[in-house]
Amino acid sequence: MDEKQLRAIAGLSKLNINDNEIEGMLGDFSRIVKYVDEIKNLDTSSVGDDEIYGQTMQVLRKDIAENALRREDLAKIAPSYENGYVVVPQVIET
Amino acid sequence: MKELFKLSYSKIKEGLGKGDFSSVDLVNSYYDRIDETQSKIKAFLETNREKATNQAKVSDERRKSGKTVSEFDGIPIAIKDNICVSGEITSCSSKILENFRSPYDATVISRLKDKGFIFLPRTNMDEFAMGSSTENSAFQTTTNPFDTTRIPGGSSGGSAAAVSAGMVPIALGSDTGGSIRQPASLCGIWGLKPTYGRISRYGLVAYASSLDQIGPFSNDIQGVVDLFSVLNGRDERDQTTVIGKQFSSANVKQKSWKGVKVGVMSTKNASDWSPSVLKKYEDMKKNLEKEGAILKELDFSVFSYSIPIYYLIATAECSSNLSRFDGIRYGLRVEGSSGKLEDLYVESRSKGFGDEVKRRILLGTFSLSSGYYDAYYGKAQKARVMIRKQYDSFFKEVDVILQPTSPTTAFKIGEKTKDPIQMYLADVLTTSVNLAGVPAISCPAGVDENGLPIGMQLTTSHFEEESLLSFASSLAQLPDTTITLPSQIQ
Repeated sequence: MDEKQLRAIAGLSKLNINDNEIEGMLGDFSRIVKYVDEIKNLDTSSVGDDEIYGQTMQVLRKDIAENALRREDLAKIAPSYENGYVVVPQVIET
Repeated sequence: MKELFKLSYSKIKEGLGKGDFSSVDLVNSYYDRIDETQSKIKAFLETNREKATNQAKVSDERRKSGKTVSEFDGIPIAIKDNICVSGEITSCSSKILENFRSPYDATVISRLKDKGFIFLPRTNMDEFAMGSSTENSAFQTTTNPFDTTRIPGGSSGGSAAAVSAGMVPIALGSDTGGSIRQPASLCGIWGLKPTYGRISRYGLVAYASSLDQIGPFSNDIQGVVDLFSVLNGRDERDQTTVIGKQFSSANVKQKSWKGVKVGVMSTKNASDWSPSVLKKYEDMKKNLEKEGAILKELDFSVFSYSIPIYYLIATAECSSNLSRFDGIRYGLRVEGSSGKLEDLYVESRSKGFGDEVKRRILLGTFSLSSGYYDAYYGKAQKARVMIRKQYDSFFKEVDVILQPTSPTTAFKIGEKTKDPIQMYLADVLTTSVNLAGVPAISCPAGVDENGLPIGMQLTTSHFEEESLLSFASSLAQLPDTTITLPSQIQ
């Protein structure tokens, strides 16, 4: 693991690592990766690919409409609220 | 009336029922205790006396007019700061959610409200439940009530310390890799991680969804039994809750150890355990044998991989779960200097998350990334199946497994913060339980030479909480298991 790789992973994670943090983070991260590398010594060939999915049956609830959030309650907790809408920054770039 | 905070949960329930004292008396006693100890213990992030007192008044009115909603009506409970209570802040001890108010109640909160419990908000925790010492909270470090220079364990350290210090008799925590059992052990109280799917996670802020479970803390076993009986059961809002074996608290009974097959581990490779924990474990084994239990040494070799497996799976899930904290939908928003959307995401997350959360998001993103997925995440998933199968085979041979909860007693504040791996190893005896989804409880088991609590972990097969809690209450009858809590000393 080098600085370039760590910065690439940080980019995928939408995190910025400052220049003064990078050395410490790289050291910690390299040691953690080395530690979890131990798992490579475990022989997992007895487990089939299909065994890792679906241990429990997931039962969906019935699709029935019910009262959810009331607007006035939402207005009280939203950071910014105008004319019945929660105001957020522009998320579509033009 | 002044010292009600010293009572066990059972005595509180009994006294309220008999009318020896009111819910307001109780709330006053706990808040006086909080006023006295909070500055040292720092278990709570917020203490709203007025709100709790008002709830207690309403409960007392119900009791007076014969309209008590349950036998628990008026009992105070503290809630970990990652469980949503409508209208209240749920910060997960993170700057990114510092001012987030939940618009709804978690299912566990609705169930407690229906029974008339009184809520004491919010207990401190490691940020997003990532940690084993509560030192990763963005706001404060909770201390251990037995020795305030030491950690209370984590991540539910605030809840555990609050119960141990007599600030509240019972509390809720969440356990992803040991976050209820380890702090319960280090604070000298009871803490249960139920079978995965027993208790609804709706309204629990997700860290690692396939491992997280909400569970109770209490200063006696009855509190654990009662809370589990109130909280367990299918919830349509959490599709992973299951209609398993029914639980009835009436079936939880102290039993004789005669003929019980107890699985134990060899301590040959336990060089990193405290000598006091090791000795206690060997003593417990001998005492169980004297009581007629049949001990069987189990092969735990595959469990030596449980920490790497846990960190690969938990961090992969956390990198996905925490992607929702983007500066748009929740909490802290930091506008980037460029004004671009990408910068807003990056700046908000970089300022909002602490170091340990960042490390785990990075590890999770790494193990899921192209070229590494099969070697890390895929491999860990298969290894997890091996752990589960190992437990299945254990429970063909034994009724219950006994291990220490933590390899050491409470360590000093700051002792392990510089080395993340040393901190991860604090959970070496607890994570496999989450990987397999089985239930486990940490039980008080006496103290070490410095008077610090030691906890023993009992584990049973899936959905066997009735027998797990019965074994736990039988364990409490063995010699040298009693721990006098700091609240009870004075």
